[in-house]
Amino acid sequence: MESNMVVESGRVGELNMAAEKSLRKRRRPGEMLIQGFLFFCGALSVFTTIGIVYILSTESLNFFTRPLWENTNKRLAEDISPAVTTFEATSSGKPVFVGQTVRIGNELMDVLKVEGNLVTVARGFQGTTIEAHRAGLDLFRSNRVTIWETITKTRWEPQLGNFGIWPLLLATLTTSIVGMIVALPLGLASAIYLSEYASARARSILKPILEVLAGVPTVVYGYFALTFMTPLLRAIFGDQVQIFNTASAGIVIGILIVPLVSSMSEDALHAVPNSLRQAAYGLGATKLETAVKVVLPAALSGIAAAVVVAISRAIGETMVVAIAAGAGPKNFTVGQDPWLGFVFNPFIAAETMTGHIVRISGGDLSYDSIDYNSIFAIGLALFLMTFMLNIFSQRIVARFREVYE
Amino acid sequence: MAAQPGDTPTYPEGDALQGQIARRHRRGALWRASFLGATVIAIIALLALLYNVVNQSFGLVAVQNDVEPESLVRTFFNDEMLNSPNTLASEDDNELAAALVDDPYAIGFFGYAYYQENADTLKTVRVNGIAPEAETAENGRYLLARPLFIYTAQNIVRQNPAVSLFTNYYLTYVNEEIETVGYFPTSESGLATARQAWNQADGLELSPGQWAAISPAGAGGQVNIVGSSTVYPLTQHMADMFTAAGFIGQINIQSVGTTAGLRALCNDGTADIANASRAIKPAEFEACRSIGRLPVEMRVGTDALAVVVSRANTFLDNVTDDELREIFTTAETWAEVNPAWPAEPIKRYIPGADSGTLDFFSEVIFNEALEDLPKDTLVEILADSISVGLGRRLEREQRFYDDLLIFEDPALWEEVCASDEPATGCTLGERSSYNVYELVLERVVNPDVKLSWSLYDSIFRRADIELQAQREYPNAHLEFRAWLTPDFLVSPQSSTPEFAGVRTAILGTLWVVLITIGFSFPIGVSAAIYLEEYAQDNWINRLFQTNINNLAGVPSIIYGMLGLAIFVRALEVLTSGALFGQVEANTTANGRTILSAGLTLGLLILPIIIINAQEAIRAVPSSLRQASFGLGATKWQTVWYHVLPNALPGILTGTILALSRAIGETAPLVVVGASTFITIDPDGPFSKFTVLPIQIYQWTSRPQAEFRNIAAAAILVLLALLLTLNATAVLLRNRYTKQLT
Repeated sequence: MESNMVVESGRVGELNMAAEKSLRKRRRPGEMLIQGFLFFCGALSVFTTIGIVYILSTESLNFFTRPLWENTNKRLAEDISPAVTTFEATSSGKPVFVGQTVRIGNELMDVLKVEGNLVTVARGFQGTTIEAHRAGLDLFRSNRVTIWETITKTRWEPQLGNFGIWPLLLATLTTSIVGMIVALPLGLASAIYLSEYASARARSILKPILEVLAGVPTVVYGYFALTFMTPLLRAIFGDQVQIFNTASAGIVIGILIVPLVSSMSEDALHAVPNSLRQAAYGLGATKLETAVKVVLPAALSGIAAAVVVAISRAIGETMVVAIAAGAGPKNFTVGQDPWLGFVFNPFIAAETMTGHIVRISGGDLSYDSIDYNSIFAIGLALFLMTFMLNIFSQRIVARFREVYE
Repeated sequence: MAAQPGDTPTYPEGDALQGQIARRHRRGALWRASFLGATVIAIIALLALLYNVVNQSFGLVAVQNDVEPESLVRTFFNDEMLNSPNTLASEDDNELAAALVDDPYAIGFFGYAYYQENADTLKTVRVNGIAPEAETAENGRYLLARPLFIYTAQNIVRQNPAVSLFTNYYLTYVNEEIETVGYFPTSESGLATARQAWNQADGLELSPGQWAAISPAGAGGQVNIVGSSTVYPLTQHMADMFTAAGFIGQINIQSVGTTAGLRALCNDGTADIANASRAIKPAEFEACRSIGRLPVEMRVGTDALAVVVSRANTFLDNVTDDELREIFTTAETWAEVNPAWPAEPIKRYIPGADSGTLDFFSEVIFNEALEDLPKDTLVEILADSISVGLGRRLEREQRFYDDLLIFEDPALWEEVCASDEPATGCTLGERSSYNVYELVLERVVNPDVKLSWSLYDSIFRRADIELQAQREYPNAHLEFRAWLTPDFLVSPQSSTPEFAGVRTAILGTLWVVLITIGFSFPIGVSAAIYLEEYAQDNWINRLFQTNINNLAGVPSIIYGMLGLAIFVRALEVLTSGALFGQVEANTTANGRTILSAGLTLGLLILPIIIINAQEAIRAVPSSLRQASFGLGATKWQTVWYHVLPNALPGILTGTILALSRAIGETAPLVVVGASTFITIDPDGPFSKFTVLPIQIYQWTSRPQAEFRNIAAAAILVLLALLLTLNATAVLLRNRYTKQLT
């Protein structure tokens, strides 16, 4: 029997061998080409990400390496010829330090030694032409924006060389927090209503309305914030509410995110199997108890992901804050400006990170300026924040998802 | 059965149980209500948003014109009359009267008073069948009549004895004196009403019909009178008599026109009495009240124009206003106007252009709209009012006449048209009459919206609005304005909100979307096909998928920065069109073109298109693929002939939704560098661009309220566009679902 089988299968093999030439999978260059093209299209999204990271990083690097020329108010005390490497400067003004680059006229010099008013330099630094300079010329020293400075300073004043991220960051946080205070309860509650309470008919009416809300362009929400929400707030809270303020921008951002939170949370609630609800009812739980104590915890991972995505959306929201939040960073000085009365006061105008990028790039933007570089640095911070939040949300879903049969 | 009593928790029983159940139900109902409330709040927000936009798109506006259209029309017809053949114009009524006496074919008009002086040699003609008499003039049935009023205010009468005395004297003797000035006296009842008003204002408690004449002898003080030039001679006459009767104070009378007079009384509070040849308007009345002056109206007479012919004229007894129009302008003979009349030439005797009489006549008889004036007149008005430079520019855009140049020098015109870049006027046909009218409106009348109100206020606070407009802009008039008009859709951008439109923005949006869709649709669908049909489950494909999901969450402004650095700067040679020799010499777009914007938005919606297309492809049942493979189709044949056609409705739905996202995007395009102000239509992928949301953003950022109004109108346009797109998507989806079931 066994040998028979072998022979049998051997014969089948022989048959196949005979037909091999005609039936073998043919090479199809056309198909290969198409598949290559399709692969390329799929890969394009990766190039986009790489492009974003590359552009933001290189321009941000420029931001941190670009010299900012600051007039020291020191002048050359004597005429210097191209050969001179040590000269006297006036004693007034700001000091220069060893290792700094100074500029006189168009020539850059590397400071080697400073003794009183005597400055020793290496001439013609960075390939600039060595020239004779006359007494009385101003000395400029170069400053660089350091990362440390950026994360410690509390003033963003490009024209004064102050690049502290805090005013912009705090404004973004304020609008986002206000937005989340509005969006989370409303979004979650409406998700619970739509998923647990609403009849099929009510859902078929309410859901499209929420979708319409999600489809309204953000610039329209900005208009809404400025011409409706701000006057409303001013009617309620009086003149302490400025024409441009983070509260109205934040509330409107909240409204704009409600459909997002609602639909993502509803999906999560919907995915909880009915057997759980029926078990809860069987144990005598009311509808509320079932929804809040059984279904909600079961859908928690999805809801958490919705919250994180909503936060990321709030941080990245641009047009509402550009129109309604204010057109200047709310600079502050620690110890001088009251925290609650000023720094975190949502009724005061403040420019957010996104608002700043839009304002700067909407003006006459010169590509060779610190402003241009600075918006990319802000953009990088923004990108990293939202990117990490998005990754985080996907991780939440992946790790904590309850898998039901 | 080994239950021990101690282990059993105590459960509520009886009433306690009922209470607990009721409590749980109450709590349940409360939360249910609040969950529903949250959903309703979201809907209310949507309604508030729509309400707000509509509320701002329509409403009352206070418009102030540089030149009133009526005065342009009046000037035109004055000139028509003055330039008609056989016309003698004179400021001296005696001269007119003397000339009319003997000529049976002559006709003229002047104040009724002058007719009365010459009643024995001249006769009046009835107008529309009504003869000029005191009664028909006063009740307004006679067309060429207007009332004469003086206005003061209650507290002025009470506080300024001189005003009280003067008005008392005025009302006592006006009917005796008025005919010497040449006006009709007021009727008995009209005078009684005026006297009653004075009694009330002065606080005299007299029964109706009683009148106490007070002698001004020896009284002093000051009276300031401002207003109508028609009432002026009457008031001046009364003032002279008042002084003659013993008043030793001072009376100043200015003749500046009715509107200015009432403004001096009601807005500035500088006049004690206003002369007026029309009744006070409600808004003026309110303005008076708002500065604490309750207006007192006193009718003092009626002014009427008499249309007169010689006593020797036998055929003319009655004319209609249509006939008057012809008689005083184009008609040469009487028979031309009415065949029953003799075929003799008309001789016209009319007051000169300096007199208010001519203005009054042309206002009443020729009350046409500016729009209805002939094109030649409109062109003339334009030519008189604008600079030659501007005229040339307009003419180069489009000629006024095919066979005539108004502003441009013919030699220069030839040169311009023969050059490499001929002006559009060289090829376009002549401007229509309506087009010229619009130019006159924009360049000459130049209506300026001083204030605008929301729709809600316009409906429910109309009285307040009228008062406010009267107080702040007395020269302006209120009108209801829809900011969203057909003109708004087809006009280009303008620096004045009254004339601005969204034409360039709509065209820009269409161009950008065209590029976006051309770029992202094929690539997005291809990527989706790859991921669904070809990709194996390995790390690189998982990376693709994760990456696409992540990209969908990147803030749109980041895409704008990517677009700025890559498309605008790095690929400038491509996106500015320089590579294709497309760049125009005077363009300043550099890389900030429609192409850059379209590609940027393309990258932005790519992940959305991919994700939606993936879902659509996934929904195609795999039995279809199996069947196709089973029949020997290759992978691509299966995808192309079976999977794609079945997934197409779903893919299209997703693409349309992604497109509507692209249409609404603003931030990335601001960063990429949308133009702030362009009036020229974009004509290709290398043009500078603006799009609807950018336009809305820029208008919203302007401080003037009128820009908010047009921003709202533009929002309505944008929402309508998106709604249409989304409705298409929903229809497509429904149809698709039906087909499958």
